[in-house]
Amino acid sequence: MKRWLGGLAAVTLLVGAAACGGNDDESAGSASADSGATLTLWTRAATESISKAYAAAYNASHKNQVQVTAYPNEEYPAKIASAAGAKALPDLFASDVVFAPQYASQGLWLDITDQFQALPVKDKVAPAHVRNGTWQNRNYAVPHTIDMSVMLYNKDLFKKAGLDPEKPPTNLKEFAADARAVDKLGGDINGTYFGGNCGGCNVFTLWPSVWAAGGDVMNAEGTESTINSKEMSDVFALYKQLFDEGVAAPASKDEAGPTWLGALQNGKIGIAPGPSAWLGLIEEKSSFKLGVAPISGPDGGESTFVGGDAIGIGATSKNAKAAWDFLSWTLGDEAQIEVVAKNKGVPVRTDLATNKYSQSDPRVVEINELMAKGKTPYAKNFNATYNDPQSPWVTAFRGALFGPDPKKSLDDGAAALTASLQK
Amino acid sequence: MTMLATRAVEAEAVTPRRRSRRRKQLIGALYAAPTAFVVGLFFLVPLGLVAWMSLHRWPLLGPPSMNVPDNYTALSDDKLLSTALWFTLKYTVLVTVLLFVISFGLALIVQHRFRGVAILRTAFFLPAAVGFASASLLFLGLLSSEIGPFGSKLPSVSSSPTAALSSAVGLVLWRFAGFNMLILLTGLQAIPTEVYEAARLDGASWWQTFRSITLPLMRTTIALVLTLMVSGSLLAFDQFWILTRGGPDNSTTSLVMVIYRKAFIELDLGSAAAVSVLLLVLLLIVSVVQLRVLRRRS
Amino acid sequence: MRFGMSRVTGAALAILFLFPLVWSAWASVRTPSGFGLANYQRLFTSDNGIRFEHVANSLAVSAMTVGGTLLVATLGGYAFGRFHFPGKNILFLLTLAILMVPYATILIALYVLLGWIGLQDSLIGLSLVLIMFQLPFSIFMMRNAFEAIPNELEESAQIDGCGSIATLVRVLLPAVRPGLVTVSLFAFLTSWGEFFAPLILLNSTDKFTMMLAVVNMRTATFGAIDYPALEAGVTFMAIPCLILFVVLQRSYVRGFMSGALRG
Repeated sequence: MKRWLGGLAAVTLLVGAAACGGNDDESAGSASADSGATLTLWTRAATESISKAYAAAYNASHKNQVQVTAYPNEEYPAKIASAAGAKALPDLFASDVVFAPQYASQGLWLDITDQFQALPVKDKVAPAHVRNGTWQNRNYAVPHTIDMSVMLYNKDLFKKAGLDPEKPPTNLKEFAADARAVDKLGGDINGTYFGGNCGGCNVFTLWPSVWAAGGDVMNAEGTESTINSKEMSDVFALYKQLFDEGVAAPASKDEAGPTWLGALQNGKIGIAPGPSAWLGLIEEKSSFKLGVAPISGPDGGESTFVGGDAIGIGATSKNAKAAWDFLSWTLGDEAQIEVVAKNKGVPVRTDLATNKYSQSDPRVVEINELMAKGKTPYAKNFNATYNDPQSPWVTAFRGALFGPDPKKSLDDGAAALTASLQK
Repeated sequence: MTMLATRAVEAEAVTPRRRSRRRKQLIGALYAAPTAFVVGLFFLVPLGLVAWMSLHRWPLLGPPSMNVPDNYTALSDDKLLSTALWFTLKYTVLVTVLLFVISFGLALIVQHRFRGVAILRTAFFLPAAVGFASASLLFLGLLSSEIGPFGSKLPSVSSSPTAALSSAVGLVLWRFAGFNMLILLTGLQAIPTEVYEAARLDGASWWQTFRSITLPLMRTTIALVLTLMVSGSLLAFDQFWILTRGGPDNSTTSLVMVIYRKAFIELDLGSAAAVSVLLLVLLLIVSVVQLRVLRRRS
Repeated sequence: MRFGMSRVTGAALAILFLFPLVWSAWASVRTPSGFGLANYQRLFTSDNGIRFEHVANSLAVSAMTVGGTLLVATLGGYAFGRFHFPGKNILFLLTLAILMVPYATILIALYVLLGWIGLQDSLIGLSLVLIMFQLPFSIFMMRNAFEAIPNELEESAQIDGCGSIATLVRVLLPAVRPGLVTVSLFAFLTSWGEFFAPLILLNSTDKFTMMLAVVNMRTATFGAIDYPALEAGVTFMAIPCLILFVVLQRSYVRGFMSGALRG
């Protein structure tokens, strides 16, 4: 059995290695990239609607047909890992962009360097995403959807609290002051809300404040944590104070993600950082007016976490050429404007931030333009270090926000995070 | 037909009888063949693969490389693993004790016939009809402040380690007490009524009868139930995965959750396999000790 | 135990045990404006909801698992209960050892294995795995059921000229019927409600089982759980099981009596 398995693995490796020079040999049989292949595409439930929208538009105009399968968010990494372990990956699969370095380094995606570098628009494709899909200077994945963190605030509550709804905070101190003012309205109204038991949420909403202040949470290679830096400590201290004062809703402490959106939808929260993609979701369910502002640092500046999903060609795919045809099509003007922008999404191309659909809502233009100021953090072990509920990051920030000794939590946390990043 | 022949001519010489015994053995083995096939192919082969994996650095794609005993030695300074190990042991003791006491209590309540006893039995047993994942989702709603009948009067599941642990334990008690009750009930009802009669004539109290008759006579049933409870608890996963996500602050992270994390989040199949092997050994030790202790008592 | 008190306690406990089920059914028909089937409508029409093929797949997997478990466990129980053969005890212990293996890791190995034998992403492969996980309980149950049959019954059949298969089918099977019902019932429950094995072993949407769709309701849109639709899913999944449970109650209680008796 062992020899069998070893042989199988070796064969796969050879195929993978051969594919590095471009996939021409692999699909040499088919003259054209659009030859009527059936392509399987896996995605997580959160991204399903956009993946399906891409697929529907592509299928309508191509002989290739893309079939989308969505899996529950939490179990999606397990699905990818077990499929990879059995050499049965789909033709295409998307992943949270922060997990992309891990998948690229494990060789789960095919090397698409040559094809990608040949694209005329390659320099306009969200650079942070492209970098996350890169491992040892080879490209493995391209952006699929983009979701950025922004401040979302309730204009009605701002007005009631005597604040100017057209003047969102420009630094974290103003943010805290606005939250306190709204909180004074009393009753079940709270100033702010955050995911106090959710690794992914805090990565997404707190780090931009650190970046805006000129600090960072890791070194550039993603191998050393600096969460005990002054910038990060200041941000934690501010949120801790808001929580201790009762300005942040008490439920923030237990929020693990699943009810985060619900909390912002019910109109009882003054101002909170959250995903830009929720703009539509919140407005469709609620009667209040929603304002959008960039996330700022303690003393000003602005930044954002350029999140979303990246997508690549499954390493065991037999339809590499057709799969690339789909990927290159998704990066084109037609897909980005008629599929993404039309559905109020953020185009993955920097040159399409302003387009015929974004014009109708100035907030969308603002979000789109924010992309250039934002970052996507890069780390090979991102999921295990930050997103997973058992990650050292969750332990560290819960210590910093709710524990008795924030400094010690962050110092210990930085060491634990570094150890996890270097695994 | 052959069996008839052999039995009918029992007075015959030894050789044919031995041959017939061998034939009967062969027939038995044939009937057991499907079991052997399924167990061998779908259990032993994967189990062997897991053991083999635990000796390697095993990337998802690409060739594995032997790294004995790195996967095992690395476990010794894994803080999450030791937290999970202690939690799992604590949880196992807690659940086994509570579940056993409650199941036995339920069995005692419904062991005699009285009007409505069938309804009670059904009521206790009915939760076993709900799949465990379904039951976990049911409790997720039941305990949520958003839709649950207790609203925000109940602390949220992940508000404290105690809340998280009690939610999971409550779920397990609800789901499994009836099932274990039924097994215990079979044991209870297998005790001949004459034995109780005799004890009653001797003037034994209820408690004396229970201690000196019921418990000893139910030894095997109790052993079975306890083994099921202990192994089930040591392998606990669903209840934590769906209800508490192992939190808050890793306070309800079980060993199987660590395996899951190593395999699917860290993509370190070798280490995940090593923890599995460790857990398997732990389970074997616990089961053997348990059976020894229960046997010796007799 | 004092009779009156134990009955009152029993009744109170019964209400406690029934409460979650009743609540789930109630919550599933509760809508913002009163009562109705809106939650079920969402369950069946939302992007990630239950589709007809999910129901069909669940039924197919359950049927194959029940059928396969019955076949293997009946033959195996017969062998363990009424025959002696070399390796009998080892095989029996190995079967029980299935209970001791952590699901999370063995599933990867099983996924690899199903690939080797060409059963990846297939309902048959999934059923085979589920049968394996059902075996400890089923074999144990059937062995004890066969052991409990008095020797005279088997011998009289043999004297009537039956071979071992005929004896099994004509005489012994009717005698172990409660055990068969119990084994089938639990095989059905497991395969119907199983979540993790289908998640890992199935790849294409059109092969998904209902449980996957229900769990999907939990995470359909990140940031908000549709609890009412979730409870609708839980209730919908539970109804067939509850009905079977009540209808078959007599048989499986007898099955337990004859089967689980000996350790």
